[in-house]
This record gives sequence, C-alpha cells and structure tokens, in this order.
Amino acid sequence: MKIKLIVLLGLVLAFTLYGSAGSINRDSANTPVIQSNSSDDNRRAEGEQRFRANCGRCHAAPHKFPPRMMATIVRHMRVRATITDDDMKLILFYMTQ
Amino acid sequence: MANLLRADECLRSNRRRPVFEFWILAIMLIACTAAFGQETQDLSEQPVPILTGSAGYFTNVTAGENALVPIVMPVALVPLGDRWLVESRGRFSAEFERPKGEDGPYGGTVDKTLDYLQVDYIANSHLTITAGRFLTPFGIYNERLYPIWIRDLQVTPLIFPIGTGSSDGAMLRGGFPLNSGVNLNYAAYFSTASTVTAFESDRTTGGRVGFFFPRPRIEVGASWQKLLQEDRTQSEGVHFAWQPPPVPLNLRFEYARGHFGSGYWVEGAYRFSQIQLWNSAMRRTEFVARMQQFFAGEASAPSDGEYHLPHSNVQQPDFGLNYYIKDGLKASAAYGRWLGKRNYNVWSFGIAYRFAIPLGRLEPQ
Repeated sequence: MKIKLIVLLGLVLAFTLYGSAGSINRDSANTPVIQSNSSDDNRRAEGEQRFRANCGRCHAAPHKFPPRMMATIVRHMRVRATITDDDMKLILFYMTQ
Repeated sequence: MANLLRADECLRSNRRRPVFEFWILAIMLIACTAAFGQETQDLSEQPVPILTGSAGYFTNVTAGENALVPIVMPVALVPLGDRWLVESRGRFSAEFERPKGEDGPYGGTVDKTLDYLQVDYIANSHLTITAGRFLTPFGIYNERLYPIWIRDLQVTPLIFPIGTGSSDGAMLRGGFPLNSGVNLNYAAYFSTASTVTAFESDRTTGGRVGFFFPRPRIEVGASWQKLLQEDRTQSEGVHFAWQPPPVPLNLRFEYARGHFGSGYWVEGAYRFSQIQLWNSAMRRTEFVARMQQFFAGEASAPSDGEYHLPHSNVQQPDFGLNYYIKDGLKASAAYGRWLGKRNYNVWSFGIAYRFAIPLGRLEPQ
C-alpha cells in the first residue's frame, strides 16, 4: 500500500513538473496571439464568447459582480468546471469591464 | 488472547490508515508548493472571500403525498494568495410531511450535510490539485448541475446515485486546449473509506475525461469509478451536452451503469427569448423536458441515504417551466410521471435564489 502511494506521489510530482514546463512554453508561445488581440474591445468580445460557451453550458448568465468578487468566482469555476487558463482570464476580463 | 491482541492491533492499524493517507496528501501539496513557488497570475483584481450559495422552498407532491421542502446550500470561497482556494458547501434540507393518512401538522427532521470541504492548489495551466472532501467527479450532474438555482428540474435524475456523492482524499484535475478547436478536461481521484460523521465516504478511485468543442458548443465525456472495498464493483458512465449556438437550447444526456443497475436521462431546456410576442416575459421563461429510464440490476440497491436507486425498472418523463424573475431568482413548476411497478404523478413547485455576499473589502488594496 505504501509503495503504491509513493509511486502515486512520484507520478504527481513528475506530472506537475512536466505540466509546469509545458505551461511556461505555452505562455511564451501564445504571447504573440494575445498581443495581436490586445485591444480591449477584442478581448471583451472574446471574453463574452468564452463566457457563453463555458458558463452557459450549466447555468443562466449571472449579472456582473464587483471585480474582487468576480476574481473569486472565476477561480472557483475554473476548478469546478475545469475551465482552461486562457478562458478564465478572458472571462474575468469580460466580467469585470 | 494473542488472536485478540492481533485483531486489536489490526483494528488500530486500520484506524491509522486514513490519517496516514492524509499526511501523504499534505506532503504532496507542500512538495508542489515548493516546486513552483508563488508565481503571480495576471489578474487585475485580487480575489476576496465570498459567502455564496442558494436557498429555496419547494412543495413536492408525490403520489398524492405532500412534502414541504426548504433547502439552504451555503458555499464559502476563501482564496489564498494567487494559487490557492479553500471552498466548502453545506446543505441544510428537510422534507416536512404529514403522517400517512392523517391531517396533523407537517413534521420532519432537518438533514445537515457537508458536501465538500476542500483545498485547491492551481499548480499550473494544466493541473489543479485538490485535497479534502470533494464532490465525486462522475458525469456532469453532481459537480455542475446539482445546485438548486442551476438545475432545470428540481427532481434529480434516477441514476444520480450511481458513482456520485462526496469523496475524502485527493484529486488531480484540469482543463487545457488540445488545439484551437478542442479543450480537454479531466479529473482523477482517490478516496479513503470514512465513517466519521459528516465525512462518510467509500474507498474508491476513478476519474472523468471530457472533450469540449467550443465552436459547436458540444461536450462529450466518460467517467469511471472502482470501489476498493466490499465487493469491489465498478461503475461507468458517458455524458453529452450541446448548446446549438443560434438557438437558446440546452441539451444534456447522461448514461451510467453500476452494480445495481443502469439508466440514462436526456433533457432539453429551451428559453423563449427569440419569441417576440410578450418578449419581456418570454425571454425569462424556460421550458424543460426530460426523459429517463432505469434498468434494475440483479442486486437490489440499498435504501439508506438521501438518494437511492429504484429497486425495479422505472421510466419517468418530466416537464417543467422555469421563470427567471431577476438575476439569481427563479420560480419553478414541474410535472413528472413515475412509471414502474406503481404509476403515479410527481409534482414540484417552488422558488430558488442564489446569493453572493463579499466577506471583505471590495475596493482594491
């Protein structure tokens, strides 16, 4: 049993480190794309689209909350609904405008 | 005597096991924290603790028997730093009924349930590590559609007990784009057995994987769970959800199979927002229809717990109307017909409200 847990622990750490490296590469690779859409209007429109695609899958669109509340709610929904990192940032931008 | 001592030692060893596993989880979290440090996310505002959740009051009429159902489900969200979140949901609910065949006062007990109490660590864009008591990730209903302000029909699906509930242990989950057209989401977990009051859980392992196609707004996925105690049975399920973009329609489907039987539910919810006649009222109105069937297995499902599977084959069509009075407040009415060994009507009327209260300053610090 202990061996299984140790193996599991090792896999978790390995996966975490691998994912971290991947995310750093992904972030740097995505930078030009984000910069090309850097205008607020484009981000807002993209955020609304992602909001409707992700959040609307489960519930009716809520009204906007104050930004600090919205940041908590979006973090909660990122975990609960396994929303991607990019989607979370764009939805947060849209919901705090 | 020696046998008794060995038995006692074995018992104590079993009692120590959950503690040992929780320590392993703690070490995992600390190791991951040390590995990554505290990178800051590009968030323009710092999150504030919130008390949110839902409250509702329903009248259910099942086979002519009235039940008054008040329910409160508070959710506490406490963000810590840039990557941590502590979240918890309790559930206080009751079914007040009259004694059968009598006209006396309604009575009953209030059930208090801890649905989840978990710590989430957002390790990176691919991975979130969760430890504590969490909702078992099986299908889409338990994690996403269960809150009363979200669910389109207040009556839970027949197959809801298969693979769901709460688990105590650790979970890895996340969502990330595979390419520009597909997002992958996943969850994998291990749960310890616990008989501690409010933390009851089975020793299980399992997971769920889903593929979300943002353009057509389609999600397909599958779930799996293995019981690591008693008869070591397993459960499987698949789910499908589709929101055709030009139409305010939400289609959902789940199929699940377990030791005590199998079944499915398919549900469509249509918002009348595109109808111009009385549009101010129509756009707040939603029609829901659900069809579901359960096929009982050879073994009879236990009847304990809040939710349990039918003991024989059942099918149940349901129809409902939701009226969204204002943001977070909706009135619901639904009718269903239970078609099993007995046939009877299932009515539900009520109101559900979602609240959100900040527990800190709203101005940026």
